[in-house]
Formats: sequence, C-alpha cells, structure tokens
Amino acid sequence: MTSPLRGATAVVGIGQTPLHKRGSAPDPEMKLCLRAIVAACEDAGISPGDVDGFVSYGSERHDGQKLMPALGTRELRFGALVWGHGGGIPGALGLAASAIVTGQAEVVAVYRSLAENAGARLRVAVAQDDTAAQYLVNGIDGPVQICALRTQRMLEADGIPRSTMFALARAAYHHAQRNPDAVAYGRTFDETVYEESRFVAEPYRLHDCSRENDGAAAVVLTSAQRAADLVDRPAYLLSAPTGAAAGWGPLEENHRPYSSSGFEAVARRLWRESGYGPADVDVAQIYENATGMGVAALLDHGFCAPGEAGAFITFENLIAPTGRLPVNTSGGNLAEGFLHGMTLVTEAVRQIRGTSTNQVPGAGLSLMTGGPGDSVVSSALLGSAATL
Amino acid sequence: MTYRDHPISGGIAADEAYWAALEAGELRLPRCAGCGRWTWPAHWRCGRCGSWEFDWTRLDPAGSVYSWTRTWYAFDRTKERAADVPYVVVLVEVDGADGARVLGVLAGDDAGLKIGAAVTGTILPPDEKAKGYPSLVWSLV
Repeated sequence: MTSPLRGATAVVGIGQTPLHKRGSAPDPEMKLCLRAIVAACEDAGISPGDVDGFVSYGSERHDGQKLMPALGTRELRFGALVWGHGGGIPGALGLAASAIVTGQAEVVAVYRSLAENAGARLRVAVAQDDTAAQYLVNGIDGPVQICALRTQRMLEADGIPRSTMFALARAAYHHAQRNPDAVAYGRTFDETVYEESRFVAEPYRLHDCSRENDGAAAVVLTSAQRAADLVDRPAYLLSAPTGAAAGWGPLEENHRPYSSSGFEAVARRLWRESGYGPADVDVAQIYENATGMGVAALLDHGFCAPGEAGAFITFENLIAPTGRLPVNTSGGNLAEGFLHGMTLVTEAVRQIRGTSTNQVPGAGLSLMTGGPGDSVVSSALLGSAATL
Repeated sequence: MTYRDHPISGGIAADEAYWAALEAGELRLPRCAGCGRWTWPAHWRCGRCGSWEFDWTRLDPAGSVYSWTRTWYAFDRTKERAADVPYVVVLVEVDGADGARVLGVLAGDDAGLKIGAAVTGTILPPDEKAKGYPSLVWSLV
C-alpha cells in the first residue's frame, strides 16, 4: 500500500556552506545554519521569510524560533525534531512532508549545522548525554567503539568479508576526487593508505571512520504542486519512514539481530510505501558513520543477500557512472565531509537534478539512508517526475 | 568510593540494582516477577506481561564472547583508561540469562580472543578507571 505522502512533496532547494576542518569555521554555528537555509531558499526561488516550518534531528540546537529574525520569518507554523541522532535525517524529510500534506506548513526547511564550540568536542555534544553507564564504566565512550563491536560480529560471526569495508571507503574517496568541495579532494587514497592508517577501535581504522567537519547544509521542501511551478526538476519525496522494530532501540548492545544496522523494518516500509524495490534504485547515499555500518545498511535494505556481499559490494559496483549501485557520489561522510549526514541529502537531490559531480546518467530513483545502528533509523527515497 | 556519589546519567536508569549488586560483589540481572522473562537492559515494566516487579537474580559471572573491540584511542569521556590503550572490551553473553549481554574490559592474556570463547568475570570495587563505579572484568578461560 502506498502512503498519502508518496510524491506529495518535493525538495525544491538545496544549500550547503563550505566544509571546514573541525573547529575552523569562519562563522559561528547559527550563522552557518542561516547561510545554508538562505542558500536553499535562493536555489528554490523562495524568499527566506516564506519558510514557515523548521525540522531537524537529534541534537540540532538551532530551533526555528531562534532563526526567525534573521530569515524574516512572518510566522513559524511548524517546528520539530526527529528523535535519535544521525538515524533521523531522512525521517526529518518525512516529518516535513507530513506537515506540508496536512496543511500545517507550506515551506519547510530541513537542516543541520555544526561548528565545534571552544573546548567541547562535537561528539560529546552529539552524544546528548544519553550514553548509559554500562558503556562509560567499561571504557566505551562513543559511537565508533559501539559500531566496532557490531561490525566485528558481522565480520567474524556472519562472515561478511572485510573487503566490503574497503570498497565503500575507496568508492567515497574516488568520488571525492571529482568534487572540488570535498574535504578529501586531491587526497591520495589506496589500499596502502587505508591499511596503514592507525586503528581507532578494531576492526576500524582511521579511514573507516567519518570525522566531523564544521559547516551547514539545508534543503527546502514544499508541496508537489508548488514545486512544479518553482523548479525544473523537483526531487519528489516518495517515502521516508522512521522507526525501530522490537529488538531495536537503546538496548545497551542487546540488539537483535546484533550485526544489523537496524533498518529491516524501515526498509520494508520504504519499499512498500514507495512501490519500488532495491533493484530499481539508480543511486544511493549511504550514511557511513563507519564503513562496516554502511555495509550493514546495504544488506538491511536488501541490495544483496549476506552471502553475496563480497561479490556485490565492490569498488567497481559502487562507483558512478558505471557501477550497479553507485554510492556516496559526492564523497559521502568519509570523503566529502561529515555534517552528521546532511550532505548526503543535498547529494541525493543533485542526482535527481543531474548536477552531481559524479552524475549517474538519467538517475530517477535516489536513496538516502540515515545513520546506521542508531536507536531509531530512517531512510528516504527521492524520485524524478517520471517515477511518480 | 561508591558509584552513588557520582552517578552517570544517560541510561534508562532502571539499572540501579545492577550497580548496587556489583558493588556488593554480586552479578544480578532482572527477571520479570510476572512471567519470568529475563529483561535486560533493565526497564520499569515488562512489555510482555505488564508486571512492574522484577526479581534481581544472582548469576555466576560466566559466559561467552558475543563480540569484542580493541580500542586504540583515549576517548574524551573514558580518559581514565588512557594509560591502558590499547585495551579490549568484550560483549559477553551471560550464561543462564536467555542471551542477556553485558560489557566489560578483558583482563589478562588476549590470545584466543574470538567470538564464542568462554570467559569468567571478576567483580572489581569502584575505581577511577570505571568512573567510580564497580565493574565486571572478564578473562578468557
């Protein structure tokens, strides 16, 4: 059964600031946020004052009401955060669509802004004080160590080959070489660089891990009807479910199935609501907080069976324009830069528009998966007019 | 030193009895008093039978490695273990608790570390490394 949200809204504007090394942005976080939203409005041909809905996820600190004076907002009519951390990004698109379809807002900005505060490592702020004692008492601080535990199980018990992790990283760095805005643009990356980078938390080496940047990205959504009048190629939102099945959530490593990234239920809804399946997808932006979790997300979405992972998740299959499933075509979190996944949304839209630096020719269905392994997760399928 | 002097917020906070038992030198995990299901991590109500009561049941600290990671970086909130880097943390499926898993640092020789390996636990009193909490450390059998 398709959802009443299917194709009812579209992304009409995207905005993104340059990505800076963590702690080096020329502007404070809120100013970056405003720049991204204003850029998205200009891209859409909408006055920033017309944005009447503000949606983000996790620990975003720049509530719409704080932005109103600078945007010239006439009336804030809708504002909300999706629960979770990076798992909630695509779901934020779905929440924005819900507000538009139900008439609560007309133009909704979805955004993320990051700039390291003096003395406060971002991942501490990001952890939102929701790390249980079970972790901190036992020497586990952050997401990368937790992802490492899950990925070790995926490799050692499930037999998913380690080559899949390198393939995902290599594809990201490959794509970054054609994206001048990527932090890894011009940076050499090969198996030697990968294998010789230091371990962070086994099985993860430095180049398996996304590292936060300063910057902001935003998209603007409106109704499909208005979108068609505004821009040539709206990126229609076909489905963007958020959720967690029983056995998932903040379960202190008692998740079942453990080496999953938590997407099985969300992926089932995504395909059912959109009317498409994994074989139909032209290009995918796969949130990879760490490579192995991105691999798990590909498996959870049904792109290949676990037994086929080594044969399917290869560099050749993951690169544009020729691969069977080009992924992270702007360089992804690993190589374009990490704004908690928000740059994956702008890239998913570029693919529909035909404006990616690693364009998949004629891309009609563009997937974005949210932060894998988060206690709630979400995915979004965007499509061209022809896919409606 | 007791964990009660500097509690770590962030969890569901239904696991007070777990830490109190560890501080008393025992491993205890909750079973639903209504339907007998092991309910871990601890919560306030059994979602299966609706009971609000749990029996914190004593277990031998023994189990098997469900997964593991070796940490090579002194992360901000676990700086107390900086001198131990690299250290191994194991996720242990506790014997006799229907698959319930707890975390713990691996002590001693890690030769033979692999998923499925049998481990036994030792309960340490609160210390700095464990952020003032009692802790369960594991050794390969």
